[in-house]
Amino acid sequence: MLKPLVEFRNVFFSYQSASAKPVEALRGISLQIGQGEFISIIGQNGSGKSTLARHFNGLLTPTSGEVLVAGLSTATSDRKQLLEIRKRVGMVFQNPDNQLISSIVEEDVAFGPENLGLPPREIRKRVNHALAALNMFKYRRELICHLSEGQKQLVAIAGALAMKPDCIVLDEPTAQLDPGSRKQVLESLKRLNREEGIAIVFITHLMSEAVNFDRVVVMDRGEIKMDGPPGEVFSQVELLEEAGLDIPVATRLAAELRERGYPVAPGTLHVEELVNSLCQLRSST
Amino acid sequence: MTRNLTLGIYLPGKTALHCLDPRTKIAGASGLILLLILTNNYAAYASFAAFTIALILAAKIPLRFALKGLRPMLPFLAIMWVFQLLFQKPPGAAVIFSWGIINITDAGLHIGTLMSIRVLLLFLVTTILTLTTSTVELTDGAEALLRPLQKIGLPAQELALTMVITLRFVPTLAEEAEKIIKAQTARGVDFGRGNFIRRTFQLFPVLLPLFINAFKRADELITAMESRCYTGGAGRTKMKVLRMGRSDYLAWVVFAVFAAIQVVLMIKVGRPY
Repeated sequence: MLKPLVEFRNVFFSYQSASAKPVEALRGISLQIGQGEFISIIGQNGSGKSTLARHFNGLLTPTSGEVLVAGLSTATSDRKQLLEIRKRVGMVFQNPDNQLISSIVEEDVAFGPENLGLPPREIRKRVNHALAALNMFKYRRELICHLSEGQKQLVAIAGALAMKPDCIVLDEPTAQLDPGSRKQVLESLKRLNREEGIAIVFITHLMSEAVNFDRVVVMDRGEIKMDGPPGEVFSQVELLEEAGLDIPVATRLAAELRERGYPVAPGTLHVEELVNSLCQLRSST
Repeated sequence: MTRNLTLGIYLPGKTALHCLDPRTKIAGASGLILLLILTNNYAAYASFAAFTIALILAAKIPLRFALKGLRPMLPFLAIMWVFQLLFQKPPGAAVIFSWGIINITDAGLHIGTLMSIRVLLLFLVTTILTLTTSTVELTDGAEALLRPLQKIGLPAQELALTMVITLRFVPTLAEEAEKIIKAQTARGVDFGRGNFIRRTFQLFPVLLPLFINAFKRADELITAMESRCYTGGAGRTKMKVLRMGRSDYLAWVVFAVFAAIQVVLMIKVGRPY
């Protein structure tokens, strides 16, 4: 196996507050993410998935245990090391409106590289490349406020991409988008992963989104409950229900059919898939 | 009133004035404003007005559009003019009109009129700057001009970034305010009714959520900025590098000649009172 890009070693984290007793958000997380992986982390509200996301680039540091990015610990007081980590792990948040800095598309994408102190020509090159990779090049001089929410989120992803990261972590980037934009964002991420080899960590509470990834990590109450390819994870309906996830009707039906001895494909998520496998079943008997 | 407001609007174009380096334009406009403050007689103001109109024509701004922006200022100017008329009584000024306790001096008349012209021209000069320079250019230019002051502790980059973020969030917050107003209207708040005090109090249910959300946004924004390696102004570079060209040097020569003419007019003609 390739050397892990990001490694969580038995990470615990609790939110400290002066008045109430500390809230434990992560309870012994151990996780390895390799170069170029395409992962989704799924869990219901309060499962700790956003807290986990903030550990990837040192926005939060473990109460105990450690997080290593390319061998560097995120719990460091060394500014340079933290910058190195943030250069390697890009981060995209839920609300595009609250993460874009400049009113003009290309100026915003340039913000990260400008912070790195790169020469102007190199910044220009990276900005153009990042915008082109997300099919947003033609909007480079557009005002942010004239873009749709989905396009804004693509600009935010371009901003992360312009740092030339090894990995981009996205914390529910599609939660505020319409279905069309969701698809567009997911497709763009897949392209970045396949063509640029950038590891993608996609955090969501929707199974329908998680199924598009190569590996799915299920979180519940601060722990990792399942970790594997989507087909394997989504065939264990009971465990998913225990984690409080909404199970699509097709998946539930498929699971129940399998229980009764019908060889329906495991991890069925879409109605079409179920229809297909049922039709195959019928023609083979 | 906002319909007539021309200050702060940018009219994209490709004229020589549009293409000047923003530093030239900001410094030039500041220079013109300084000249205006020093100007003390009608001849110098006439010459200044001619130059301003020449600039407007050179920038291909419709003259009527530029002048329309002056309209909302007129009531304020009228009040100011009346005040100068009533209360400017420098020693030795000749009284030209007297009625009861009201004494109007010639100096008061001149000072009021000159000041009104000054404010109008001031407004026109600033309007020309904003009409021909995008906000991004303006902040870039201001940052570059202020950068030498960083040595004495002025955080020029941070100020410029603050400006960039402000401009970025104006449309976002405006949109949000509109949403809140609609939501409150749906719950029965009757906006724009009643007297001044009442209307002011009606704004609270709009401003409160707007402020709370703004703080939340600020919190999220700073997290996003940190994630993008922001550590303050030091060590940052810019994608766009400002460059002075031939037209900028030409502009400086034009400005110098014009300033010389103005100074001569100020000294030779002198103030009229």
